[in-house]
Parts: sequence; C-alpha cells; structure tokens
Amino acid sequence: MKNFFSLFPTTLIGIFFSIPAIIIFLSLFQDFSSNWNHLIDTVLFEYFFNSFKLFLGVSIGVFIIGVSTAWIVSTCDFKGKDFFSWALVLPFSIPPYIMAYAFTGLFDSYGTANDIARIIFNLGEDYTFFPSVRSIGGAIIVFSFTLYPYVYLIAQNAFSNQSRDIFDVSRTLGFSRTKTFFKVALPIARPAIVASLMLVGMEVLSDFGAVEHFAIPTFTSGIFRTWFGLNDLVTAKQLASLLFLIFLILILIEKYSRRKIVYSSSSTSNRELIPTPLKGSKSILAIMICSLPIIIGFLVPFIQLLYWAIFHESSFINIELFYSIYNSISLAIVGGLFCIATATFINYVLRIKRSKYLSFINKSITSGYGIPGIVLALGVLNLFLVIDNYFNILLTGSLIGLIFAYMVKFYALPNSSIESGFKKIPNILDDVASSLGKPKNKILNNVHIPLLKKSFLIAMLVFMIEVIKELPITLILRPFNFNTLSVSAYSYASDERMIEAAGPSIAIVMVCLIPIIILIKFMRNNLNE
Amino acid sequence: MSNLIASDILYSYSNGPVLNSLSIELIDGEITCLIGESGAGKTTLLRIIAGLEKQISGEIRIGNQVISNDDIFIDPHKRQVGLVVQERALFPHLKIIDNICFGLDDTKINKKSRAKYLMEIFKIEKYENSYPHEISSGEQQRVSLARALAPSPKILLMDEPFSSIDRALKFSLRQDTKKILKDEEITTLMVSHDFNDALEVADKLAIIDQGKIVQIGQPRDVVLNPINNQIKKQFLCETGDLIYWQSKIDEKNNL
Repeated sequence: MKNFFSLFPTTLIGIFFSIPAIIIFLSLFQDFSSNWNHLIDTVLFEYFFNSFKLFLGVSIGVFIIGVSTAWIVSTCDFKGKDFFSWALVLPFSIPPYIMAYAFTGLFDSYGTANDIARIIFNLGEDYTFFPSVRSIGGAIIVFSFTLYPYVYLIAQNAFSNQSRDIFDVSRTLGFSRTKTFFKVALPIARPAIVASLMLVGMEVLSDFGAVEHFAIPTFTSGIFRTWFGLNDLVTAKQLASLLFLIFLILILIEKYSRRKIVYSSSSTSNRELIPTPLKGSKSILAIMICSLPIIIGFLVPFIQLLYWAIFHESSFINIELFYSIYNSISLAIVGGLFCIATATFINYVLRIKRSKYLSFINKSITSGYGIPGIVLALGVLNLFLVIDNYFNILLTGSLIGLIFAYMVKFYALPNSSIESGFKKIPNILDDVASSLGKPKNKILNNVHIPLLKKSFLIAMLVFMIEVIKELPITLILRPFNFNTLSVSAYSYASDERMIEAAGPSIAIVMVCLIPIIILIKFMRNNLNE
Repeated sequence: MSNLIASDILYSYSNGPVLNSLSIELIDGEITCLIGESGAGKTTLLRIIAGLEKQISGEIRIGNQVISNDDIFIDPHKRQVGLVVQERALFPHLKIIDNICFGLDDTKINKKSRAKYLMEIFKIEKYENSYPHEISSGEQQRVSLARALAPSPKILLMDEPFSSIDRALKFSLRQDTKKILKDEEITTLMVSHDFNDALEVADKLAIIDQGKIVQIGQPRDVVLNPINNQIKKQFLCETGDLIYWQSKIDEKNNL
C-alpha cells in the first residue's frame, strides 16, 4: 500500500507528461490528406533542406565560437579573462527571434548599418552596402551568436576538467600546444561538445520566431502554415511528428555522447590545468576573439533595440508593457513552482525507493525538453480538447494548458538542479534523522528541503529564463488577448513595427539578464568552493 | 645516449624560492634517483628540465646543446625529454596501442613494431585494443612507461613512477623498467619517496634539500655516509636503523 502511494502519483505524472508527445506521434497512423501531395510537390523538400542547412551551418558556427572561446578562457591567462569568462554567457539573454529583429533593423536596405555605410562611403541612397540578413546565411549568423553559450559553457567545463598531466605528457611526446589541442584536448572533450551541439541543433530546428521573421521556410514555419494557412491540423501534426522523429534521433545521439563522457572523464589524473599567461599580440588576439561574440551576440542587438526605444518611440513604456512583464514573470513563477514541487516529490521518492522503474519515469518526463515547442503545443492542445469534450469544461485556451505545456517542455531543467541537490545530501543524514525518530515526511521537511534551498533557487531561475524567452508554445496556447513579452515582441515584429517591438524585446533581455547574472554568480562561487 | 647538466637553477613561487642555485649532472645512460622531503622542489626540477616551466635563471644542457638559459628556450615538444607522471595521465580517448604510438612519428614504418616490442617488455600485449579505463592501475603505469620510452627520448624523467602500484607488482615493474632503461641506455632522472625504488633501480642517489642538491653519489655511499644529520634522520625515519639499508645494499650487490 505504501508503494502504491509513492508509485501511483509518479506514474500518473509520467503518463500525463507523455500524452502530448504520444498524441502527435499517433497522428502518423491517421489518414494522410491530399495536402500531403501538395506539400511533397511544393515545399516539403524545401522545409527539409532549409532546416538541414540551418542545422549544419549553426552547428559549425557555434562550434567555432563556443569551442575557441572556451579553450582560450580555460587554458590561457590574459587581461580581462575573468570578465570574459562570465560575459560570454550574456547572449543567452537574447532569444534568436529578438536578435533577428535587431539585425533586420540594422542590416536591412534602409537599416542603421547601411545608413551609416552610405554616409561614411558617400554612397547613393539606393546602394545597399551590407547583404540582406533575411536569408539562411543571416539566420545562421543570428542563431550562432545567440546559441553558442550552450557550447561555450559545456566545452569550458570539459576543458577545465582535463588534467594538467595529460597536456604535459603530450607536450613532452613532441606535440606543440596547437597539436595538443587538436589531438588531445578536443577528442577528450568531444562527447561533451557533441552533446551541446545536439542541444543547439534542437533549438534551431524548433525555432519559430527567427525563421518566421526571416521568411525562411522550415519545418516549424511549415507546421504553422499548414495549420493556419491550409487549415489542416492533422497534416500539421503529421509534419510535427516528422520533426519529432528527427529530434528523437538527435536525442539518441546526445544520450550516446553522454554515455561516452563517462569513459572520457575517467582520467587517471586530476591535477588542475595551469593557464598559460599570454602577452603582447597573443593577449590582444585572445581579447579580440572573446570580445567578438559578446559584441555581435549581445551589445549590437541590445544597442539597436535601445536606439529604437529611445530615439524613435518613447511611448513604449506603457501599461501594456507592464502587463506583459507581469504576465511573463507570473507565468514563469507559477510554472516554476509547480515544476519544483513535482521534481522534489519525484526525486524524493526516487531517493527512498531507489527503483529503476521510477528512474525510468523521471527520465521519460525530462525528455519533454527534446520536444520542439510547436509540436508540444499541438499535443497539449489536442489533449485539452479531448478533456474539454469529455468533462464538458473549457481548459483549452486557459492558463492551465499554457503552464502545463511549459512544465512538460522545461521540467528537465529544474529537475536536473534538484536531482543534483539531492545527490549532494549524504544518505547518512537520512539514517541519522531516522534513528532520531523522524518519520520520512519530516526528514523531507526538516532535512532535505532546507538543504535544497540553493537548488530550488537555481531551478526557478533557469525555468524563468526559458519561459520568458519562449515563443511558439505561448503563441498557440495563450488565452485570448493574453500577452506576454515574447508574444508582444512577436506581434509587433510580424507587423513590421520593429520600433514598437523594441520595448518588449528590451524587457525580455533585461528580465532574463537578472537570473542569468545570479546564475553566473552561483557558478563562480561553486568553482571557488 | 646523452648527459644532462643543469647549473645554477633558480625558481621561485610567490611564497619564496623553490630551487635555489640548484646544479645537477646526469651521466650518460645512468639512472639517478632524486630524494627529498615534500616541497623540496623535486617535481619542479623535473618540470623545468621537461620545459613545462621556465627557470628564473640558470642553464640546462643536453649533451652539447643548450635547451634553456636566459636567451634560449626550447619548447617541450622539441626537447626529446620523456616524462612519466605519478598519475599516469593516459589519453582516455585512445586505445593502449595508440597511447604508446602517440609520440612516434607518423612516418616511422616500424611504429607498430616499436610499440609491440615495448608492450611485450612491459607485459601488456593483451591490452593492445583496450582503453585506459579498462585496465588496472598497475597496467596503466606500464602503459605510461611504454609510451614515454617509445620515441626513445634522450632523457627520461619519472615522477614517482611506482608509487600507486601494488607491492607485489612493484618488484617486477622496477625490474622491467630498469632492464629497458639499461638496454636502451637512456639517461634517467627519477623522483621517488621509496628508498626501495632508489636501491633497486638507481645507479645514483641525489638528495635535494631546500632547493639544492646537497649530496649525490652511489646509493651505498649516500645511505651509509650521509653528509648531515638531517639526511641521516630521513633514512632512520624510513627504516629504524641503517643496518637495514646495509643488508639491502649487500643483497642487491649479491644479486
């Protein structure tokens, strides 16, 4: 009976979280409508090739930016290194679609950059100096400079954990620093880097805002067009299933890479790497390499947004903006609290039961992170339609559906923080508390929860960052006339009212910056500890 | 075969000098064991000879070539100085055979045969296609030694090479290592805390104290005639009395 009370709710949560993905997947077994012929004849291959080109281009871009900066910050000592080590994470606060808006304003034919170029080089009014960013190349640049922090953070961690002895031995065996990087450091960090590239790939393939703004037909924009343009929800779901299958392959690659990390990190030596001091031109080169992603990925778009907001439109600070901020933050907090409660419950049950079944359930719940937002939104919408019809209530288009979708999508992030928090609490504390007469629920309340405070805070912060930036789920599942910051920015930008889009865009960046800075502070403190 | 001369080596950290006008000469093909207390500068000396740190002043020569002084600094990968570290530091992403071949020139036709020869000497042939995490720490240390010896370095530096190995395996590993070092006439500087290592493997003992070599000579002379009370105390602390060492040396000579 005791087992029933712990296993039943966990199983129920697992089933409930999996239903949206199952619904989408099952659509593959429904009849294929005539729209499929139309899609195959016209745009399906374009969707596929564009998505593939983006995936490949961005993977190369983030690899070059993320790995080079991570290597420099981890293994070299130069002026400003401490600043760069955290500032390189700043582009995390700018979602790709906001960067796309800013870049459009900068590099469009009559954008700021072209205006400046025309003045400097005394060019004709029709002359376009910078090529259009509304292209696959432009999208690759936008994604690369906003998503490289995934690779940077993971690669930096991988490089910093490599042992000094391995580098020393390689050098005494005749390998220069550069050769040591390619032959030793990079192969050892490869599983971690591949895992981060898969995460970036998933973000790119599931993006809706940036590709829509650049008018690049990809799977996600195709799903939207099929649903709203052709008014064919089933075909949209079937397209979503295809995207989901691609994601499953990426997740499998990522899991396989992580499995290999265990081997790669089982180094026989753990002496810390001593950074090489850089002087003169080498130091300047390091500063330039580390500055570039911060300038392009954070400063340039942020300054463009500020320029719009300050010089063109001072009325962006209005009551609607405050409502959007309030809506975004309150949604993030409520969703975060539910996620933290769920993750705490499941990890606690896992701690006391240590069952493979529960571990499997928890893993399957976390896999929601790998489902593209648009796919998930479709699944949740279907699930709630069924519930509405069955119970004769109206959950569709309510905040419940939206919060549930956020939970399914981002549960993995708070869970990872809480899971590692639980792992840091020695089991002996439970035994001691038990021997002092505390029942299990008291041990959770009096021992675990006080020790998990930091994990809860980190869980809340990472969840908030993701929810505030999130666009497709919010766009599809939000209640009528309910605007968040991301939806406001998207609505203005889709009407080409870029100046009005600046207000909510700046608010997104600012609201995301606060938790990011707190998280960076935590990470640095942990490193020092 | 090369000799190594390090003269007047000065090196310091922020909290004071580590090596204080240290001078040492390693004779061609000889194995010298460096002994000293923790923090005496043993590992720092190895890192400076390998080129992984640069001394503040002083000169290091291998044969007739200056490899480091105030004006010259040859990078570690060009020195032909092999390094074996206590932690083994095997490349986790490479198989055992590839770890051993790592420092061998790609163009060398007999690359594999050299690796196989060393694997045979160190009795690790059966692990050719294993990864480092799949073998024991003793076997890992054998791989580490084989890898350092594979490119036939002019000088071999070994930092506590037998320290984390099972007692039973230590004896055979010491013998195997000594055999190949002698066969290939490799000039070696070994750091060890264990006097048994020194007695079984080394031709000479060098005592380092406060950043200087204070005594160097045949193990028998150093052990039985320490130049000061501090060194004497070190030996006494290890074993209780000097008679033990006398018997060990006699035993070694009889062998």
